[in-house]
Amino acid sequence: MNQKIRRFGAGVLVALWAVLTGFAWFSPVKELSDAERRPLAQMPQFTGQSMLNGTFVKDFEKYTLDQFPLRDQFRQIKSLFHYYVLNQLDNNEIYIAEGHAAELEYPLNEASVNRALGQLQRVYEKYLKNSGSKIYTAVVPDKGYYIAEENGYLSMDYKRLFDMVRQGMPWAQHIDLTALLSAEDYYFTDTHWRQERLLKVAQRLSEQMDITPPQTEDFTVTELERPFYGVYYGQAALPMQPDTLCILENPLLKDCRVYNYVTEKYTQIYDMKKAEGKDLYEVYLSGAQSLLRIENPSASTDRELIVFRDSFGSSLTPLLVDDYKTVTLVDIRYINVELLGNYIDFHGQDVLFLYSTLVLNKNLI
Amino acid sequence: MVFSTIPFLYYFLPIVLAVYFLVPNVLKNTVLLIASLVFYAWGEPRYVILMVATILLFYGCGLAIGKARKLRWRKFWLTISVVVSLSLLGIFKYADFFIGSFNKVTGLGVPLLKLALPVGISFYTFQCLSYTIDVYRGNAQPQKNLISFGAYVALFPQLIAGPIVRYVDVARELDSRKHSWDEIALGLRRFLVGLGKKVLIADSFALLIKLFRQSGEQSVVFYWMYAVAFMLNIYFDFSGYSDMAIGLGRVFGFHFIENFDYPYLSKSVREFWRRWHMSLGSWFRDYVYIPLGGNRVKTARWVFNTLTVWMLTGLWHGAAWNFVLWGLFFAVLLLVEKWVPALQRLPDLLRHGYVLLAVIISFVLFNAESVAQAGRDLANMFGFGGLPAITRETVYYLRSYGVLFVAGLIGATPLVRNTARRISKTRAGALLEPMVLIGLLVLCSAYLVDGSFSPFLYFRF
Repeated sequence: MNQKIRRFGAGVLVALWAVLTGFAWFSPVKELSDAERRPLAQMPQFTGQSMLNGTFVKDFEKYTLDQFPLRDQFRQIKSLFHYYVLNQLDNNEIYIAEGHAAELEYPLNEASVNRALGQLQRVYEKYLKNSGSKIYTAVVPDKGYYIAEENGYLSMDYKRLFDMVRQGMPWAQHIDLTALLSAEDYYFTDTHWRQERLLKVAQRLSEQMDITPPQTEDFTVTELERPFYGVYYGQAALPMQPDTLCILENPLLKDCRVYNYVTEKYTQIYDMKKAEGKDLYEVYLSGAQSLLRIENPSASTDRELIVFRDSFGSSLTPLLVDDYKTVTLVDIRYINVELLGNYIDFHGQDVLFLYSTLVLNKNLI
Repeated sequence: MVFSTIPFLYYFLPIVLAVYFLVPNVLKNTVLLIASLVFYAWGEPRYVILMVATILLFYGCGLAIGKARKLRWRKFWLTISVVVSLSLLGIFKYADFFIGSFNKVTGLGVPLLKLALPVGISFYTFQCLSYTIDVYRGNAQPQKNLISFGAYVALFPQLIAGPIVRYVDVARELDSRKHSWDEIALGLRRFLVGLGKKVLIADSFALLIKLFRQSGEQSVVFYWMYAVAFMLNIYFDFSGYSDMAIGLGRVFGFHFIENFDYPYLSKSVREFWRRWHMSLGSWFRDYVYIPLGGNRVKTARWVFNTLTVWMLTGLWHGAAWNFVLWGLFFAVLLLVEKWVPALQRLPDLLRHGYVLLAVIISFVLFNAESVAQAGRDLANMFGFGGLPAITRETVYYLRSYGVLFVAGLIGATPLVRNTARRISKTRAGALLEPMVLIGLLVLCSAYLVDGSFSPFLYFRF
């Protein structure tokens, strides 16, 4: 009897294997992974050359991995086993703590920080040294700063990083944001901070920069309809609730126009077309852009601001525009520092360097 | 191509199985030969020529030895097969090692050949050598069918990482073998167990080893974690591959020899080598050690034989001095065990401890990039490297890999196998078995889909 059961079981195993094989072969090819926000590998072209030099084999393996049937579900199975059976603390360097998915930001990459500081020094030397600008800098801590160590996860030496920035930018006034924030100010499934919880940050920056601090009553909070699946949602591959993404609106912001130097077109502060896209966070100033200028016709002064920033600046900057006639946003990850003079006339504007620990530590600048 | 990849599991293997079982018996070896050459060519198409040349060389030499009436001619053809195959192995695997060592000693700058190592060359060369030597000794009949011989040499289940299957062990099955659903089911079960050992355990330890090497916060405890992780990594990697090879062989109607028998249970180094990579150990015993005179010689000669065999065993694993030292390390331990019989009278716990310590140290030597690095690693393990005893990074990885270490250590004993056997005799066990196997297939696929390519450790040999 046992032998019959075993034979039947083997039959089921072979049948399942055959079904998965069939799906692997004949499932429709997908272009993009929603969970990972990246294009999926496509079937490579077979040539004698590509076979001989090994590129076909490599690309075909990538194709089979990317196009595997129920790929996201299989990744989820792996994550569940990894976390809950093997009890491993992180999966592909993503961990879950206090309901947040976060990346292990470890160790401190001093070379990367120094490289970034070198780039910022170049900006200062070339454009700001003799411009008469008031220069401010603030480092945005990633959420690991608040949740990693106390939950037993590895984290970088943040104190050393902040000290390095302080010493590396002696020409800027440093504004410490660490005490203002906590884990709740970040999305559960994403790296970024929540705009609706940034008024305290905007107020601190405004006080230091001598502009009118924004107040809660200045804004109405609008929640986007679609759920926000942050970047860690796909990477963690665990069942998590999506976040909700809010925007802070008011008539002044509505009147602002945003000029994109690359497309040479105007958009709004909140680019609602992006609310239909993969990454809802791109709603803020249209996501990753090298050079933007916010024009504020209702500004109470003629002052101007230049923000050197990463993506954290996209959600914060709208809260700083009140007093400024123009705010120029520069992302030197996407534009060569040497070219900035072709687009921006540096003539004593306020300047804010706003970079996250993530960008400073990951060789991204 | 490697077994633990999606292309193998869901593209190559299903096609081969379907064609193999559809064609009549007379064509089955042809299917296996073609499939094996495709398997080999996947990723390294150029070296298929070397493989085909090796097949033709040994096929011809085998026939010539079988036909030759005079001993002189039999010796001649055997010598041809040995010299040519060892020369190829020497050129592709050892030339740069010898040139590099020569340059270091003499200060000259003889240019290196920088040839890529053909995958599995050590395995299939040794298999072929066993064939001509056995035909020469009269232990095997020469194979007259080129397709069957080619299928033996190139047989993809054991082509690139063993076990080293001798021709005499599969000669009968090459000509005629039986296939049954029960054998296929048993083969698939063994294959999936091996796949699980490789993908779920060995590759997880491989990641820890990588993290250890990248760490900027190493400690004495972290070095020991690394050493134990590598010991488990290499065992589950290699024995997992052997399980897969044996399982696939069974699916195709072959019965390959076992290659591992829970080596970490050993109470002496001699026993360890009877349980670890058994096909290689017995190969060296039968084709090198015994022809050199074995232990039925004077003490000095026996010491020489032992050192020679273990130096060659080390060199077989890799063309570098740390592999030579690794082999000699075991030779010395074997000599000590022979000369100090009191060791055998120690309590079992101490004997186990001694073997495990020796094996851990040996694998640190084995896995080092150089002898100097091995020295540093060992110094750090024993607290002579000026490292702290433990760091927060060590604690983190200890916590993160704790369950895996426990699973690995238990899995390296027969406990899981024996329990599975006991349970499978019951009706519930018979029901549970296919579910576990399906779970393994799904889980391994999930790990492969999520992870990146991870080659088998024994590929470089």
